[in-house]
Amino acid sequence: MTLLAIIAILFVGGVLAWLSERLFNHGSRWITLLCLMLATALLGRYWGDFTSATHGSSGGLWWDSLQLTWIPRFGISFFLAVDGLGFLMMALTLLMGLFGLIVTWNEIKFRRGFFYFNYLWILAGVIGVFSAMDLFLFFFFWEVMLIPMLFLIAVWGYEQRTYAAIKFFIFTQASSLLMLMAIVALVYLHYSNSGQLTFNYRELLAAQIAPTTAYWLMLGFFIAFAVKLPAVPLHTWLPDAHTQAPTAGSILLAAILLKTGAYGLLRFTLPLFPEASVAFAPVAMSIGAVSVIYGAVLAFAQQDMKRLVAYSSVSHMGFVLLGLYALNTIAIQGAVMQMIAHGFSTAALFALVGALQHRLHTRDMAKLGGLWTSLPKLSAIALFFAVASLGLPGLGNFIAEFLVLIGSFGSSQWITVVAAIGLVGAALYALLMMQRAFFGKPRNGNADTADNDSVMDLNPRETIALLSLAIALVILGLRPQPVFDVAAPSVAAVIGQIDTAKQAHGTEKTTPTVYTSARGGWPDSNPTGGESP
Amino acid sequence: MSTQEVHAILPLLVLSGGIVLLLLQVSFWRGHLAASTTALITLVAAILACFQVAGRLTSGVDSVAVTGLLLIDHTALFFCLLLLLAAVAVAILGYNYLKHRCHQNQQFSSYPEEFYILLLLVMLGATTLVCANHFASFFLALELMSLALYPLLGFAVTGDLSPQRDQMYSLESSVKYLLLSALSTALGLFGIALIYGASGALDFSGIATAMAELPPGPSLLLTGLTLLLIAVAFKLSLVPFHIWTPDVYQGAPTPVTALIATVGKGAVVALLLRFFTQTDLFAVPALSTLLAITAAASMLVGNLLALLQNNIKRLLAYSSIAHIGYLIVAFMIGNSAFGSEAVIYYLVAYVITTLGAFAVVGLIADSAMAQAPGGARPINDSACDPFQQAYYRGLLWRSPWLACCLAAMLLSLAGIPLTIGFIGKFYIFAAGVQGQMWLLLAAVVIGSALGLFYYLRLLLTMVQRDPEPTPAAGSGVQIATSGQLLLVSLTAALLLFGVFPQILINWINAL
Repeated sequence: MTLLAIIAILFVGGVLAWLSERLFNHGSRWITLLCLMLATALLGRYWGDFTSATHGSSGGLWWDSLQLTWIPRFGISFFLAVDGLGFLMMALTLLMGLFGLIVTWNEIKFRRGFFYFNYLWILAGVIGVFSAMDLFLFFFFWEVMLIPMLFLIAVWGYEQRTYAAIKFFIFTQASSLLMLMAIVALVYLHYSNSGQLTFNYRELLAAQIAPTTAYWLMLGFFIAFAVKLPAVPLHTWLPDAHTQAPTAGSILLAAILLKTGAYGLLRFTLPLFPEASVAFAPVAMSIGAVSVIYGAVLAFAQQDMKRLVAYSSVSHMGFVLLGLYALNTIAIQGAVMQMIAHGFSTAALFALVGALQHRLHTRDMAKLGGLWTSLPKLSAIALFFAVASLGLPGLGNFIAEFLVLIGSFGSSQWITVVAAIGLVGAALYALLMMQRAFFGKPRNGNADTADNDSVMDLNPRETIALLSLAIALVILGLRPQPVFDVAAPSVAAVIGQIDTAKQAHGTEKTTPTVYTSARGGWPDSNPTGGESP
Repeated sequence: MSTQEVHAILPLLVLSGGIVLLLLQVSFWRGHLAASTTALITLVAAILACFQVAGRLTSGVDSVAVTGLLLIDHTALFFCLLLLLAAVAVAILGYNYLKHRCHQNQQFSSYPEEFYILLLLVMLGATTLVCANHFASFFLALELMSLALYPLLGFAVTGDLSPQRDQMYSLESSVKYLLLSALSTALGLFGIALIYGASGALDFSGIATAMAELPPGPSLLLTGLTLLLIAVAFKLSLVPFHIWTPDVYQGAPTPVTALIATVGKGAVVALLLRFFTQTDLFAVPALSTLLAITAAASMLVGNLLALLQNNIKRLLAYSSIAHIGYLIVAFMIGNSAFGSEAVIYYLVAYVITTLGAFAVVGLIADSAMAQAPGGARPINDSACDPFQQAYYRGLLWRSPWLACCLAAMLLSLAGIPLTIGFIGKFYIFAAGVQGQMWLLLAAVVIGSALGLFYYLRLLLTMVQRDPEPTPAAGSGVQIATSGQLLLVSLTAALLLFGVFPQILINWINAL
């Protein structure tokens, strides 16, 4: 019930926030804060499972689950569950939600109620995505989080907001229709073969599908997740959406929404279609490596600071894709770590760019320069997160990228070598950004630097929020083991599926699975849906 | 005719009685409100009669054949119910529409009462069509519906307060529909004659038995069926028989547009479903290829052309072309319970959503009319024309509840979760997967992606944050209470069946 309560609090809180803004000014953001705190506290009830997982004693399959019948006609149930991976992702979601709220506390000047309504609904949708274990329900939440994000970009964004919002939405929606098609086909084939109509994740893991069909279905899932990730060449929505979104929107997009793509790959694509994934792995790893290089090169070429950070996301998420499709424990653990560390560092960078824009009204690095003298605190924190982003040892990002590279070297040496070059690129663009914006002499062209005194440095609220993220990154860098322990059972399950597939592939070339459409179509009326652990 | 047969057609009898009553009432005592009340009472009585007949059917026989012309079964009654409910909504919309456009003074030559008589006639035609089991009743019902629709489409002409331009458009719409509809009817009639020549039967079951004995391959029968299909495709405005749709939808009074888009198409889909099921035409490859081609063309052309529209009614017209295309995908999978279920679910979703969208558009136009009676507005100022997208700029901030209703309708049209449209889309995918129609499904995906663009554009226009001051809509949009109630109930149904689809699925499965 805790999971349901978290989601319900966020949904209801969103509506309340919208309504409350009419009654009293600024009411909405306090309600938002309250809801987020409450949700975080509820999630904290799983802390016991967390600590026991770090001590290696994993309990059942799920830490907690809730299953209610929803649409028995299609064997669809309202099935929420949490395990180590889900817990990490949900914690990341709520913490980033809090961070985004606090760091942009005063930034929203108009239509505040509607803003926080959308903000909370995005978070609710994402929590749903991370906890849904029914494919239909997963798709449902997957779509629910899009509409509020669309509004967030389209209403509170910068100059080209409408264009960016529509582009973002059409990319994700069109690709997710492919996924819907794949989901329906998967369920139908499973039903044809086994006679059991279910959208339940655990039961679909056992689905027997002919290799060719499985490959196509896997592609349907992969494209939807790769758009979200984003992977080259499906990334073009990202720079626009990130750049045009308001600061809080960029933080949500970069820190959380991108992770849903990676999570989907890890949770659904790999275990549901292990054979097809093994066959597809070289392609996916190449895409990952290309994304790493391409993102780094384009980040290097940007004038707009926010666009630079956006392209750096493409580069970093390329490492996630590379790690996931290396198909071994080390690389996948690295990918999970990268999801978290990238969430922290990029959210902080977007917050800093947002703070700069708020103060100086520009993101153009040609107009910035020599900010260190006027904004020492902001510049120092920016330096920290810039070097975190380039992978300085001792911080979370380093651990993540290092593990991904080690793990994938065993799978494919050349692709790994190419991807490793991306680290050099990361150093280039991150340091160049520091150099151009914060060091050197103040630019004359910048009107705001003329009266330096009027530019406020970070206030305590922002400083505390950013510093806590910095501390979190250091902790992740120095003691990453708890994260690995918690994620281990989920990763092991995936690896288990992959290994069986590999062995089956090695021993006999002709897989015994057959695709028979013995049953002519969907059942006529309510079948008995399957229950699962 | 036995008593049981007479009882089975009770809804039709109620409607006929209501028409006669309304004619008598209007000839002695004219009054807009009184006429609309009688029409509403008749519709509600017909709805209750549907339930009563359905209750009687469950106790004994499954279906009742009335004189070989009509066949009343649960599916037919369900369609009757759906269409009658839509008609109630149209009657409410019509009242709000006519209130601002007709002189209350009876000395002027405007007759708002006519609207309700014609509406009931359309409904009589539609309900008969749904129950038809014979080409005679099929043709009679189709013609009754069309003949009553012609004057309805041109109704703005009789209301003297409508702007000159609206009257011109309305007349154009009426004449266009008259000409093209007559052409398609002629084709359909020719098709029926050919079918009769080949099979020697006019009732559906007779055709089915005759068809089983005929040799396969190209024949007179196939030609007849193709011609008949063309006539039906015209009514459903499937590409390439869609040319009339945008002009007719745009010109007609908005309640009538809602009527022709929901009742006009829903009844034809119901008929098509029954005809194809009874004669098992799904097995004829030529016809299914034809249907597949028109469905794919409708999805692509409808959505592509909708991209170019600035007028909301034209946009919805093109989008309705695309939606019937989606529906045909579910229709294609043939003679199975799941196929019918998918078609019925999608039709319900389509009717609710389309009705809601036109209701919002119509009510907004009515409120603009009330603020500027006589249409005193410059012709080329798009921000003042309540049917242009520009008029909707910043609507969310001016009247949030209304905008939320419209947003729900648009999201449902786009097939986004939490709305009934998503479940409909899900059914389409399920049906397509079962039939393994991958090309058609690809067309659905492309069509939906295109569709998103124009639905979103309208949605984003509504949330535009800096509304330019529009003179016609300075403050909020004022809407009559009946309109508000209608919108709220439509939105509630849309969300209810979108979040808990099992309720509706159970009803459909119980048919």
